[in-house]
Amino acid sequence: MPPRLDTLANGHQLPSLAFELSPEWAREYVAAVEDGAIGALDGEFVPPMAVVALGSRALFEGAALPPGAVHLGQEIEFVRPVRRGERLTASARVVSRGERQGWVLMGIEMNVEDQGGLPVMTGRATLTMPAGGEREA
Amino acid sequence: MTLDVGTELTPVVKELTQEKINRYARAGGDGNPLHTDPEFAARTQFGGTIAHGLLVLAYLSEMMTAAFGQAWLSGGRLKVRFKAPARPGDTVSAVGRVVRAEGGRTVCAVECRNQRDELLISGEAACPAREVAA
Repeated sequence: MPPRLDTLANGHQLPSLAFELSPEWAREYVAAVEDGAIGALDGEFVPPMAVVALGSRALFEGAALPPGAVHLGQEIEFVRPVRRGERLTASARVVSRGERQGWVLMGIEMNVEDQGGLPVMTGRATLTMPAGGEREA
Repeated sequence: MTLDVGTELTPVVKELTQEKINRYARAGGDGNPLHTDPEFAARTQFGGTIAHGLLVLAYLSEMMTAAFGQAWLSGGRLKVRFKAPARPGDTVSAVGRVVRAEGGRTVCAVECRNQRDELLISGEAACPAREVAA
């Protein structure tokens, strides 16, 4: 069972997650977000936000999101287009953590790299969540 | 193509439903019950389910892809704050306007609003420049 996100200390590195952008998953994602623009480009490109979604999955697999967690802000840079079938690795790290009146405010840096170790997406999410778990030392 | 400062981007408008939110939860691997469990969500400060922030952001990204093409995928930057949740039944409009040229990028003010004109997301998106006329 992964630790609760609110208990993680500043600097905590979540486990990396390797994944393949399978054509089936890409179709499922495009259908879910109803992206009508990506198809006008190279037919093999996936919507750039799909890479962000998978970066977030790395976060969710490495730490349990406490009930009541809220996404406050997001910064993203898309470094290069990503095509269906590519194998990528997502990683996430806690880069800031504050606590006030029972709520945790946390910044999480997310990076997604290709098989050559080159970045395809970088980002930072800001979340707030109730502090409920036992804090990491 | 030249994008003048003040140019309005073509909006993207989507109808949100619980089924669409559930579909995104499956695709994105985010099963937070705040998005998918009406009974759980009813007990939170939101009083009901809300859409994933990244789902609504995907609408903004679609607008930028339509406006800037592959350049958006090759160096696009997005910085936003989530101001209010989008809910099932909402009609979400993603809109944007070119506000300046900066560091070789075209910078747009972007936002999402619902059918009551409530601000859901606001921020800036910057894309490697096509030409921008001041």
